[in-house]
Amino acid sequence: MPTERELAISPIVQESVQHNTQVISNIRSLTASLFGVASGILGLESYAGFLFYLLGTFFVSVLIWSILAKGKQGDYFQGAWSELWAGDVLNGGMSFVLTWTLFYGLVRA
Amino acid sequence: MAGALVQSIHRDPALFYWILFPISIVMVLTGVLRHYATVLLQTAPKKQGLPALREQRSLLRGINLRSNSSAVSSTAFAARRHYLVSAYKDGTFLKDPDNRGKPAGNPMTDPAAMEGMMGMMKGNMAMMIPQTLIMGWINAFFAGFVIMKLPFPLTIRFKSMLQSGVATRDLDVRWVSSLSWYFLNLFGLQSVFIFILGNDNAANQMAQQMSQMNPGAGAGLFQPGQDPDKMFQSEAENLEVVEHEYILKGVEDRLLASIE
Amino acid sequence: MSLSSLLRRSNLEALSLSQQTAQHLQKHASTGTSTIPIPLLSYPESTDIWLTYERLFLSCLRTGDDRAAFNCLEKLISRFGATNERVMGLRGLYQEAVAKDDATLERVLQEYEEVLAEDAVNTPVAKRRIALLQSLSRTTEAIDALTELLESSPTDIEAWTELAELYLSHNLFPQAVFCLEEVLLVAPNAWNIHAHLGEVLYISAMNGNENSEGKILAEATRRFCRSVELCDDYLRGYYGLKLTSDRLLSILPDDIKSTAQVTTVDNGELPMLSTAVVRRLSEQATLKLAEIIRTNNNSCDLAEITAAKDLLDRSTQRRQR
Repeated sequence: MPTERELAISPIVQESVQHNTQVISNIRSLTASLFGVASGILGLESYAGFLFYLLGTFFVSVLIWSILAKGKQGDYFQGAWSELWAGDVLNGGMSFVLTWTLFYGLVRA
Repeated sequence: MAGALVQSIHRDPALFYWILFPISIVMVLTGVLRHYATVLLQTAPKKQGLPALREQRSLLRGINLRSNSSAVSSTAFAARRHYLVSAYKDGTFLKDPDNRGKPAGNPMTDPAAMEGMMGMMKGNMAMMIPQTLIMGWINAFFAGFVIMKLPFPLTIRFKSMLQSGVATRDLDVRWVSSLSWYFLNLFGLQSVFIFILGNDNAANQMAQQMSQMNPGAGAGLFQPGQDPDKMFQSEAENLEVVEHEYILKGVEDRLLASIE
Repeated sequence: MSLSSLLRRSNLEALSLSQQTAQHLQKHASTGTSTIPIPLLSYPESTDIWLTYERLFLSCLRTGDDRAAFNCLEKLISRFGATNERVMGLRGLYQEAVAKDDATLERVLQEYEEVLAEDAVNTPVAKRRIALLQSLSRTTEAIDALTELLESSPTDIEAWTELAELYLSHNLFPQAVFCLEEVLLVAPNAWNIHAHLGEVLYISAMNGNENSEGKILAEATRRFCRSVELCDDYLRGYYGLKLTSDRLLSILPDDIKSTAQVTTVDNGELPMLSTAVVRRLSEQATLKLAEIIRTNNNSCDLAEITAAKDLLDRSTQRRQR
């Protein structure tokens, strides 16, 4: 955490932080559902499915990092690593499981 | 071992159209309904009289002075601090100066507090009632059979919960009844709600749970049951210990350094 | 803040906005008032639409199109009711705008006072009353009314800025500085307020006595430095920086180093700026001003760019002489 004096010199704008977090959260939930559809259609089971999700999320994070944050995540996030790479994975995980189960059942039957 | 065999049950595809989709659609619709119901049931914020407003905003002024003191010079800060600390100690901003020293009003008898609590209870009701109703409806109509196979395995303990109507011993835990589809939807649809209803929707269950766990966070400045005089005194003490640093000190050097 | 932000837009924009009013009213004639209250079918109502109406209303009044302004006002009244505080403020504004003589204005003032007697917390009407007192040139009363408003609402930055303007117009510089400092305490990252405070300090230095001129100018320079530190391409900040640093260079002796200097500013808190630093600040400001004028993106007002060009030309002339 930057010192108080550094914060006073270069302040952190709360709105921007919220906006950034929301963008990440939106992207993750959307891509999580899509990954669920994909893995359901592919018929992936337990570990393979979760692995697919994690790999896919990692890929999406790489894209976010390179395209949206232009490689400089320090500019957009405090505590840069955790938020951009691992933020909101659990929430996305729920949507993933939902669509995965649905499409697995739809396609397999 | 029975578990090593791949158990497959042939199911009528019509099952999906009559069970899975209706449950999902009903849940989405109730979420939307709950959101609008909460919005409509909210009472407009009560208008406060001038003394109450003055009290609140004077406290805010002290807090602002403490947090943003670097923007002004030490002399300006010292002058303001002196004024505010003596005003707080004398209680010049209090809305009922006669009530000083008396204990804070009992939340049960204070009418303003009652309204705040009613609002919270209404929110909780709006949350719990649809959930119980839907669970009851599912148990009534969709019990007694397994509907689908989960793509991932779970432990045996979940069997009793997820296969509620079907009393078998050997059936794989991966075959679940419609109640588990309800649970899956409950958790998975939150992101869908965020898309449809915008970020602060009332159907957001996670936010509800978190707000129940931290009741202090996000509460207004003057909660019922808090003594304004004590708040002023504590703010005065906070102000007295502030160390002042002037942001303009060295600003020209910082600026010139940043263009190097 | 909508009024003050609108005033910052150019007159040209206001004219084009008001000309579009008729079309806009036509297009959204049925917004938010469907007979069948099914939210999914009717045109979704958003707060943006009503903010647009308010802005249209203000720009119509500004360009003199009273009829269209009245239409906007009617729409606002029918949606929010005539007793809504903000609507009452706008209605008062309209009445002031179409008033033909001072007697009508006095009557509007009386109406405001009646409303305030019933309900002392009605902030928009209180602010309208102060604005009306100013347009009637009763500035001492306006200042009194503003101080009273600020007594009950000390975190209202709009009111503090207005008070600072009033004090400035009467050349009461220390009071104006106090008000702007109050604004900074609520919004410490507002670079435009830092620049404005720098401008007030500059004016007070030019109008004050010779001895303290250097000190006040140093403070003004530092304020402008802070404003450009917060916003990299703030034209007004660089303009002020150039102005104050050039003026400081002309009154400081040539070889001041900051450590050896005895005079200090801000009652001894900060050291005086050394000549070398001031020179570099001035050069930097000139460079940046030239760059902003060259790139000339739309965020800058045309008037500001012309003024900046003017300043640069004057300073090059001075140097060539």
